[in-house]
Amino acid sequence: MTSSASAHEMDRPPRKTSGGGEPVRTHMGDGERGDVRVEVRGVGKFFGSKLVLRGVDCAALAGEALLVVGGNGAGKTTLLKIMAGLARPSAGVVDVRVPPEACAYLGHATFQYPRLSAVANLTFWARMYGLAPSRAELEAVLERVGLARVAGEPAGTFSRGMAQRLNLARVFLIGPRLVFLDEPGTGLDPASQELLRREINGLKASGAAVVWVSHHLSADLPFAEKVLHLRDAGVAYFGPAAEFDAGGLTC
Amino acid sequence: MLRRAAAIAGKDLRLSVGGGQGLVQAMLLGLLLIFLFSLSRPTGELVSGQAAAAIFWLASAFGLVLVFNDLFSLEEVGGCRLGLLSSPVPEHSVWLGKGLAGFLLLVLSQMVFLPAAAVFLGQDIRGSVPTLVLALIGVDWGLAALGALLGALAQGQAARESLFSVILFPLLLPVLLGGIRIFAGVFSGEPAPDEALWAAIIVAFDAVFSAAGAFLFPFLYTGEE
Repeated sequence: MTSSASAHEMDRPPRKTSGGGEPVRTHMGDGERGDVRVEVRGVGKFFGSKLVLRGVDCAALAGEALLVVGGNGAGKTTLLKIMAGLARPSAGVVDVRVPPEACAYLGHATFQYPRLSAVANLTFWARMYGLAPSRAELEAVLERVGLARVAGEPAGTFSRGMAQRLNLARVFLIGPRLVFLDEPGTGLDPASQELLRREINGLKASGAAVVWVSHHLSADLPFAEKVLHLRDAGVAYFGPAAEFDAGGLTC
Repeated sequence: MLRRAAAIAGKDLRLSVGGGQGLVQAMLLGLLLIFLFSLSRPTGELVSGQAAAAIFWLASAFGLVLVFNDLFSLEEVGGCRLGLLSSPVPEHSVWLGKGLAGFLLLVLSQMVFLPAAAVFLGQDIRGSVPTLVLALIGVDWGLAALGALLGALAQGQAARESLFSVILFPLLLPVLLGGIRIFAGVFSGEPAPDEALWAAIIVAFDAVFSAAGAFLFPFLYTGEE
């Protein structure tokens, strides 16, 4: 998917968010400092008086998946939202080195209008990203996720697995260089989970960095290059996936 | 930004008109109000132009609440608000798109209220039609600008409809009073002497509501979950 990609990337610059303040523009161009796509430095987060994250440092590189793991309430989703610009950190800095047009977020919510068809949903989201895909391009993306035969049907009639596949098609359509995944496999059958992991590999192969919150550690670990283990509101481990000792972590 | 706003408005109109929820509810509620008020008129007597104008704008204001509640509820299904926030869409495009869709839906419902007012309240347009159209557009602009702003405030709240109404109606009073005053003159064929003053008030509040919407909407819409 390349339609109007070069034009829309000029709409907004990369984003740098600092704790407690407004997002500020970064002057760093994409790729100026290696292939880091998003870097988190000393990020902390309070909800009221409750500390949910403190001193988190990590980075996601192009062509790699960073698996974020931890028990319930460890702050995984909060960190992902901070990295995606959907929540503000109370402290620290998030440095996103790709423009917003090249970032995609895929989580529990399917981001779909039930009364619109699969094609109409994709068309709408493409427009939100400044893209104008042709019907053939839309059908090709739907074919890739196995939804070509239901392209004209309302998204509200889809099962959870089909809805998440359509969500995945939205991500492909964007052609992202940085992808945020929040437990994308939740509620999916084994075949859909397999498709999801295969496509995550495809995204990495295309040069995208993937930040991936997972509750299926054993199944997802082989697909990740780095692991960030959150425990007691802090970082218990950040490093290569091959050297990660899951220990008693069962998520 | 304008193209994205137009895409949001187009999607909202398609869903709202096709879904038969907000627009149909607004029309039905407005018609019911006009009909019920018509019952209060003694047999053989006419409702004054002032009263008919007040009933018309009351129906429009209630319709506005239903229209914008429906428009903002579209994003709550499937977590689409998060989708918009995670996309590169400027929040102003969302405000503009919602405002535009709300404006058109409101005008559409008023196309039903006007003949209903003529039939049930015994009114006729005796004054200037261009004045009526300009007043309608002016007041609706203000209603839509504020409705799109406050719809974001009430989204996701359990008591959204009551919260929306409680905040919205007091703020809308100046433009509604202006609309009532000008419409009263158009219905009776005797323009109010202070018509120009009310027109100026409507334009001034349109500007204030538009500026407030453009400035405040991003803060209301992006509230952390």
